[in-house]
Amino acid sequence: MSDEQEFEPRIIYFLCSWCGSGGGETAAAHHLHYPENVRPSRVNCTGALPAVHIIRPLIEGADGVVISGCYPGDCHYNDGNFRARRRVALVKSILDTLGLEPERVWFRYVAHGEGQRFVDTATEFNDHIKKLGPNPLKTRSDT
Amino acid sequence: MNNESTVLIYGTNLGGYRAAYALGKSGHKFILLNRGSYVDEMRYQALAQMPLDFCWICGHMPQRLFKALGAMQDCYNAELLEVSGEAGHFHVKFKKRDKVVNNFACTECDQCIEVCPVEVDGHKAIRVVPEAAWENCYVIDFEHCTRCGKCEEVCPTGALKVERPEEVLEADVGAIILADTFEEPSDEDLRDFALGQSSSVVRNSEVARRSLLTNFVRDSVRLPSGKIPQTFGIVVTPHFNRPGVEYENYNLSVSAIYRAVRLKDVLPQADVTVFLHDYRGTGKGHYRWYQKALGAGVRVERAETLKIVPEDGAERVTIHYASVGGESYTHTVELAILVTGQSPPLQMAELSRLTGVQADGNGFCHIRPFSCCETDVDGIFALGELTGPKGNPETVWEGCATLTEVQKYLGEKNFKPAPGPPLRDVEGEPIRAGVFLCSCFGLFNERIDLPALEEQVRALPGVAHAEIIEGCCTGPTIKATAERIKQSGVNRVVLAVCTPLQKKGKYDKAVMMAGLNPLLCEYLRFREDVIQVHTDRDKMLEKSLALVRGGVEKVKRGMQAGPPMDTFTPRALVVGGGLGGLTAATEIAANGFPVVLVEHEEKLGGQMQYLDEEQRKYVEGLISAVESVDNVTCYTQAHLTQAEGYAGNYHVVVDAPTGTVPVDTGVIIVATGAQEYRPEGFLYGQDPRVMTQAELQAKMSGGETAGRVAMIQCIGSRTPEVPYCSRLCCNQALKNAIVLREKGSDVTVFYRDIATYGKVDYYRLAREAGVRFVRFPDDRYPEVRSNGNGLEVVNGEMRVQADWVALSTGIVPDAENSQALSRLLNYPLDYEGFFSTDISCYPYEEAIKKLTKPFELASNGIFPVGLAHSPRSFEETILTAKDAAGRVLVVIGKKKMPPPNKMFVADVHESLCMGCGLCVDVCPYGARYIDEVEKVARVHPFLCDSCGSCVAICPNDASYLRDFMGQQSIAALDALLV
Repeated sequence: MSDEQEFEPRIIYFLCSWCGSGGGETAAAHHLHYPENVRPSRVNCTGALPAVHIIRPLIEGADGVVISGCYPGDCHYNDGNFRARRRVALVKSILDTLGLEPERVWFRYVAHGEGQRFVDTATEFNDHIKKLGPNPLKTRSDT
Repeated sequence: MNNESTVLIYGTNLGGYRAAYALGKSGHKFILLNRGSYVDEMRYQALAQMPLDFCWICGHMPQRLFKALGAMQDCYNAELLEVSGEAGHFHVKFKKRDKVVNNFACTECDQCIEVCPVEVDGHKAIRVVPEAAWENCYVIDFEHCTRCGKCEEVCPTGALKVERPEEVLEADVGAIILADTFEEPSDEDLRDFALGQSSSVVRNSEVARRSLLTNFVRDSVRLPSGKIPQTFGIVVTPHFNRPGVEYENYNLSVSAIYRAVRLKDVLPQADVTVFLHDYRGTGKGHYRWYQKALGAGVRVERAETLKIVPEDGAERVTIHYASVGGESYTHTVELAILVTGQSPPLQMAELSRLTGVQADGNGFCHIRPFSCCETDVDGIFALGELTGPKGNPETVWEGCATLTEVQKYLGEKNFKPAPGPPLRDVEGEPIRAGVFLCSCFGLFNERIDLPALEEQVRALPGVAHAEIIEGCCTGPTIKATAERIKQSGVNRVVLAVCTPLQKKGKYDKAVMMAGLNPLLCEYLRFREDVIQVHTDRDKMLEKSLALVRGGVEKVKRGMQAGPPMDTFTPRALVVGGGLGGLTAATEIAANGFPVVLVEHEEKLGGQMQYLDEEQRKYVEGLISAVESVDNVTCYTQAHLTQAEGYAGNYHVVVDAPTGTVPVDTGVIIVATGAQEYRPEGFLYGQDPRVMTQAELQAKMSGGETAGRVAMIQCIGSRTPEVPYCSRLCCNQALKNAIVLREKGSDVTVFYRDIATYGKVDYYRLAREAGVRFVRFPDDRYPEVRSNGNGLEVVNGEMRVQADWVALSTGIVPDAENSQALSRLLNYPLDYEGFFSTDISCYPYEEAIKKLTKPFELASNGIFPVGLAHSPRSFEETILTAKDAAGRVLVVIGKKKMPPPNKMFVADVHESLCMGCGLCVDVCPYGARYIDEVEKVARVHPFLCDSCGSCVAICPNDASYLRDFMGQQSIAALDALLV
């Protein structure tokens, strides 16, 4: 139990430059809080996030990766978020071959004005990863 | 004396903003008078006009850009006081009062709100509107403000001044554009619908406003008690309101349907009914939405009269309505949503007094015939909802169309963006990264130990310099930061600042003033990612260090590259010599550019057989204009055989009787028109007494008449074969019906929905004239039979005798030619068969989302106008053609142009590229192509919006974004995790 309490997950939160970041900025404008160990990383569009960029942090020891972008139909670049959804689904389907649980990757739509949803996602994902436990690859010596 | 070059724009509706943008981009300064106290104060009215469940603040971005560049002088709380002079030389006097908070200098630290001693209704006297994250506007509720001045004292940048003096300014301008915003009917106007009498009745614009912050989850329809309604009634109020109170605009029917569909999306079990008189979705894609609603289980009730009665003490109202057949019904709902129309502008009297413009019969501003935006006064233009009930496509088109009409009153261009400061070439230098931590005028010190962070940052590998700066977002701080960057001698910069979404321009300016390419710099959301969202100081320090580390790794691997320049061929090609083609050609040619006009018939003029005498004269006037002017070259009996290239650089081949002609052109205007639907059945072609409306009109002009005339609407419209509304048929049929009634004929109109529109209410006039209306169900058209007595129209049990039967035929694309042209130009047709105008703005036709992009290049330099675009009337064809011409004029003058995204474009590592073409398919803008010779992918920088889809799909990492290269991102991610 004390292990879990000391376990602070390393989480990368990929955000698109428009709705995703906007959600983050709205949350900040309203001074909403989320756990400090969630680290945002920007991409222009969730559709521009290569599969490798999702897998690499997990191999390098991140405990979870969550991705947020515009809602379907609202993608600033038309349809990037549709491809993102498919790409994430694809990545999740092969994570078990790497020894990882597919639940370590989440994909959730967050709109520009949804500050609350942004922090909810960050907080929920953090709790979820805490329950899942640390990344099993961290204990391996071949990564 | 030369004409003035500056333009005054009074009012800020969508069209006004668009006109401002077009003027600024084509080199004219403008003064923008905002009646409100901040940008977007009138925005909710705009939402009512569309309404869309997104807020469109970003649509106003171009205005900020132009202010920064110096083309725009924006004034708030403004009022025009005096106008004198004449077209080309107006002298105007206006008053203004600046915003309480100067947005340019405001850092949104919220200190002013914290110290304000007054609290009312849950918020302070000074507060932020809207409650979203983009350029928040701080406004003071002066009714409750005590003028204590505490907010002003505490403001770190001096952006806030409680007392702003009212100033009176004067200016000399060449033209005046009136662009007053939309007015919703008042609560009193809507009293028959219980608005204000029950909490269960709301306006649709209010639901839209609440949706902004919730992205339309059920909260936006929540009742005051907290309950989520399960039964909804959506009422299109102008269909049932007293005459003259509100006018129906273009989008109302589809807005009601859209709201219904959204409700069903979120609350699938809810009971949703739309109440209207007819479904008047005459626009592109509107019928498809109707079918979608029906498919989703929305009920559509067509009513003749309707009232809403509140229930005391309950969160319920009852809708009392009578069907078209006369029976009365009631329907109780928990929430009634009113889709309201547009009221005539209250300012008309004042505008008339100031400028001499006249109001029309309905109280809107009158526009000259055959013109888009010219009022009765030379040099004064009116556009958008000021001139009539409007929907967004027309308003948006009018914006650029104004540019073509206003040119003749303006002098030489008087605005050119200043060239950027010269940049240093850092090639070959050892990498020295500098990290500048913003303290937001000292405020961040309270939340985090900045000196400790600075020390830790200094220890990072590659960091040659670290310091704390005061800010980088006001004039003085931008200069100071640039100085610090320069002095430190670094060649890579990380700024830990705030919201680059808003402030990118400012940060770019700071680093460029220091001589560095923005591609070598990274701007971190220090405030949004750390300061405002966390509480644990130690963890914040750790996270900040991680973010800075990521930024440093990224900039260390940055590349410097200037914006790739390209030439824009200063010529236009117009395909089609009808009204649309002729209009576009004359407008562009009038501005000095050569135009090539290609018409596949023998003569110019298009389908003149459908025009009345005045319209014919107008077109003939255009033909002589085009034939007499030097810079338009016409080829008749000609067509395109080849086309390749991209916006600004098209190479086409025209096959003309004189031989093949190669043409280099910058833009292509598609004005190929459409055709009338040829009816099948109804005895058409078998019995000469059955005719189309056009044939009826020809008979009537020839002096013939008949005692009994029956008309059948929607022939070749809104059927599975032709799945859209052809827009013009109801207007045309009722016009003819009224004339027939004047001659004494008996007229019966069989219809599914009467979709008349425009300034003249033909429907009311027809009913007053005694035309009979009989509705038939969507899936069972009446039959036409011949008996000894004449013709008989059979509708179910009903039989109507007639001497003539007129079929109101729709408009269909010229499928063979459209498809051939679409393939040739590689430009898609939409599912209705017309040239597509951006699927991502569905359900509203015109590229509303592309307002943030340089819209002139959004469709790759190809502009469909007139009937090639969608069913349009004579005036609307002129409007779309002038809008296209306006957009063309914004770009065509520039010989060498940087791409709209400047240096932030995609590129290809050719050595890694295998020419697979995946990136070409995936690009939403068609900005990529495979070089046939080298077998590698290449980018058209003009069209690239830097989204990165190509990067994600490339199997070899050959495709990259200049500001997001693979090696940068991976290194940044690794660093983020340490």
